[in-house]
Amino acid sequence: MFASKSLKKQIEPIVESLLAGLVGLVIGALIMLAFGHNPLAAYRSLLLGSVGSVYSLAESLAVATPLILTALTFAVAMRGGLFNIGAEGQVYMGSLAAVSVGLLHLPAPFNLIVALLAAMIAGIVWSLPVALLKLGRGVHEVISTIMFNWIAHFFAFYLIANVLTDPKRGDRTISIIESARLTRILPTATLNTGLFISLLTVAIILFLLWRTSTGFEIRAAGYNPHASHHAGINIRKQVLRVFLIGGAVAGLAGAIQVMGRPPYYAVMSGMPQLVNLGFDGIGVAMIGRNHPIGIVFAALFFGGLMVGGRIMQFDPGVPFELVRVIEGVIILALAVPELRRQFSRLKGRWGRKE
Amino acid sequence: MKAGIIRIASLVVALFVLAGGPFVSSASAAGKVALVLDVGGRGDLSFNDMGFKGSDEAQAKLGVEVVEIQSNSAADYLPNMQNAARSGQFDLIVAVGFLLADAMAEVADQFPDQKFAIIDVTWLGKPNLMEIGYEENKGSAIVGALSSMVAAHYGYDKIGVVLGIEIPVLYKFEAGYRYGMHWGNAKYAEKTGKKSNVGLLWTYTGTFSDIAKGKAATEAMLAQGAGIIYNVAGPLGIGDLEAITEHLEAKNKSAGPPFMIGVDANQDYLGDGHRVLASMMKRVDFGVYSAIESVVNGTFKGGVQILGPHNGGIAMSGKQDLADFIQFGVSGGAISASDSGQITSNWDAMRKDIPQWIWDAVAELQSEISSGAADVPCGWCPDTIGDIRAKYPD
Amino acid sequence: MELAHLWGILFISLHAMVPITLAAIGESIEESAGLFNIGLEGILLLSALTGALGAQASGSAVMGLVTGMATGAIVGLLFGFISTTLRGSQLISGVGINLFALGFVALMLTVMGAPGFHSVAREVQVALIPLGVGNLSPLVLVTVVLAIVAWWLLRRTQLGIWIRAVGENPAAADVAGIRVNAIRLGAAIAAGVFAGLAGAYLSIDWFGAVTKEITAGRGFIALAIVVFSGLNPLLALLGGFIFGFFDGLATWVATYPGIKEIIPWQFVAMAPYVVTLAVVAGAIGRVRFPSALGVPYVRE
Repeated sequence: MFASKSLKKQIEPIVESLLAGLVGLVIGALIMLAFGHNPLAAYRSLLLGSVGSVYSLAESLAVATPLILTALTFAVAMRGGLFNIGAEGQVYMGSLAAVSVGLLHLPAPFNLIVALLAAMIAGIVWSLPVALLKLGRGVHEVISTIMFNWIAHFFAFYLIANVLTDPKRGDRTISIIESARLTRILPTATLNTGLFISLLTVAIILFLLWRTSTGFEIRAAGYNPHASHHAGINIRKQVLRVFLIGGAVAGLAGAIQVMGRPPYYAVMSGMPQLVNLGFDGIGVAMIGRNHPIGIVFAALFFGGLMVGGRIMQFDPGVPFELVRVIEGVIILALAVPELRRQFSRLKGRWGRKE
Repeated sequence: MKAGIIRIASLVVALFVLAGGPFVSSASAAGKVALVLDVGGRGDLSFNDMGFKGSDEAQAKLGVEVVEIQSNSAADYLPNMQNAARSGQFDLIVAVGFLLADAMAEVADQFPDQKFAIIDVTWLGKPNLMEIGYEENKGSAIVGALSSMVAAHYGYDKIGVVLGIEIPVLYKFEAGYRYGMHWGNAKYAEKTGKKSNVGLLWTYTGTFSDIAKGKAATEAMLAQGAGIIYNVAGPLGIGDLEAITEHLEAKNKSAGPPFMIGVDANQDYLGDGHRVLASMMKRVDFGVYSAIESVVNGTFKGGVQILGPHNGGIAMSGKQDLADFIQFGVSGGAISASDSGQITSNWDAMRKDIPQWIWDAVAELQSEISSGAADVPCGWCPDTIGDIRAKYPD
Repeated sequence: MELAHLWGILFISLHAMVPITLAAIGESIEESAGLFNIGLEGILLLSALTGALGAQASGSAVMGLVTGMATGAIVGLLFGFISTTLRGSQLISGVGINLFALGFVALMLTVMGAPGFHSVAREVQVALIPLGVGNLSPLVLVTVVLAIVAWWLLRRTQLGIWIRAVGENPAAADVAGIRVNAIRLGAAIAAGVFAGLAGAYLSIDWFGAVTKEITAGRGFIALAIVVFSGLNPLLALLGGFIFGFFDGLATWVATYPGIKEIIPWQFVAMAPYVVTLAVVAGAIGRVRFPSALGVPYVRE
């Protein structure tokens, strides 16, 4: 069927993701039927609501923008053989760092760049200890990132309520200073120039991982640590690199989310616009098969689900939460390796003809 | 395999297009209204449910169709309202809650031909926006006085208030409650000749949805000797009441004290009728209903309306509302219809146990507030809440 | 601070200990067998919901707990099946379980008419034991007993040896005639049952309601406690208590006049995570993880 084996290998993961997506949508439809909703009307609404107009496409892209970045955090680590689920906490720290830049009273043109840089540094500050603990004390990064996520959660609450508080509103921080706000692309949508920052990051990571020796070393260490070690690659350095990159990118996501999302441009009590960006990013990375290009499409898919889900809510009235259920099923389906082969085995057993 | 997939895919697409139906549905007889909620949502037995009560009544009496739009997170407020406005289907879009203020400011400008209404916001000033505010501080003062007098009567030296997210709207509740507590202490001393130093325990839990926090905060306050707990955090009252009920069960009792004070809706029927002493009713249902009514009658006007004790928008719960809200509770699934008799008699007993002079004093405060003799602080006080806390200390 | 306050904190600590310790005990068994289930949080959430519904439908708290355990068993079975027979990725399926649970519970709450939460009628909640100074849930005692039983199972029985063999060196265990995948599947189901009990406890015992956030990361904390305790169920009791203590203390600090102005409650709330990190970083040299943890067993 396919000329070369390597092309087949490249297509395989895409097909698997599509199959998993299909499984998710089918199960979602079944649940909708169980509750007496019309799945076709719902999915129609979902589709039109997510990409059916310039406005909705813009909204889907807006939701996708930070997810691309948090997905990259996870994906880069996976490529390096590590399980970095610390994006959640790194996002909080990044966003608060961006907000604090307003306190420095710098001349206007600098604020944007400084805010972005501050956010990246904050993300690194939050991910570096994880790497050091792993290298120095052998602490598995799953545990340490979970702990750091929770410490960040409470520390952020403290900062929001006590240090960075807007004097007029006890429930949120001071706003991002005007000169640091990201411009909107469409006046009536929340899409902003943060999208370009995300895409630029995708390009940089793509280049880094597949066109530089650094990237090669990271991937080699992830693929086969023993062989790489024997080949002279410093495994310890890869761990550091992976967490550094991941932290910076996640911090950036936090900054963009607060610098670009009207009407607040501030971090609210409870961090509603930041919570779950890290975890959703993991899902996006998995669906995107940990590849930067795949991640962009997966993020758009997720964004479309979210945005379309909002419309689906009042026309035809399917609860928004169904979207998360679908996402969960898709991920579960992805957990099964070689899904396509399992499908074929099922088909063969039932004697369906090709 | 590939041919098969393509066949299935085209079938699905065809079904899609055929079965989808019109994307924009037609409006019903009297009109169509969208109710946009914040993250709290339905089922809080207080603020949001009162909003629904108003819209349900509008559906029943005015014949409008009401569509609810939930917000999953704060990031949805603006897109939800934009979606509703953009669809062009709605004669009125009502935003229920202060948290939607910033989004409303933008959307009202973006869609000048769409009519909007918002609850708990009074400073935006748009020609197409009806703003409905409440005098919660006055209502809280009334229950604050009741609380400190009742607490002193039963021998407690503390009352508590469990609040939600620290937003300026809640400062009105806090400030009014403080004022009332001090007024009640003075009145108690005057009437009984004994000194009363009932003090305040207070905390902002930072959430309008995590019931566990309400329960934990109440447990802490009860252990510190609070005799009354005022719920200013919507559904957290469920958690507050859990804590009070368990506290009483440990002593083999079912009726308070300690009591809870309900908020927004009349919550007296909860707790079997004898654990919630009174409720500070904020008639969000009136506000929503009147906004919808004005659109149906063609009398809609942008501007600010203040609902307070003078026009029935704010009131302490009494016998006449109990039956009405028992019905409310039954339809919300909180109690069953067969219990209503027991609940009513328990409630009567609870209220009778409190000396008449306390009820008279409360009525006295109510008239002082109406006449303007009592100057309850914080009509809106984000800048001065610190001073108010100093003037009416814990 | 009066004695009543101390009793109050003690009781809150014990009650908070239950869900995380139960989940940790189950996960200790599972990890000893070589499976790493990051989806505990999802199981807690799902069984909180089903436990509440089961209790209300049957009118009995015990049935509610059983329903929760059954839910946990089913999800555990699914996870075990994906991880053993299908040789799938444990981490990915765990994440999938969490996401699914989040969406499903929120969906069910919305469908039942109350998007934020669902109260459980008092009559069907687990009866508390009044002790004068406070009420104790019987599940606290159950947790202690289960911890002892699980420890004894893992360290003192033949089954325990098999479980640990399967986690340590599945190939050798296979050769010795131990059915690797069957044991792993069993361990996964067991962990699910424990987590299911923990979840049902949250809704029909401790909080008396189901909310979207009722689990508040307790599943992840349980994972940390497993590490903290070196897969020892008895130490998991201690770890759970420490977490519960700081959890309860944080709320106290937030409401106690005088203290709340001095100590920000957020730092108290952070304490157990910092402590866990410290212990894990300090103790990790002495903690031995099963060598085959997280790796699907493929018979060569």
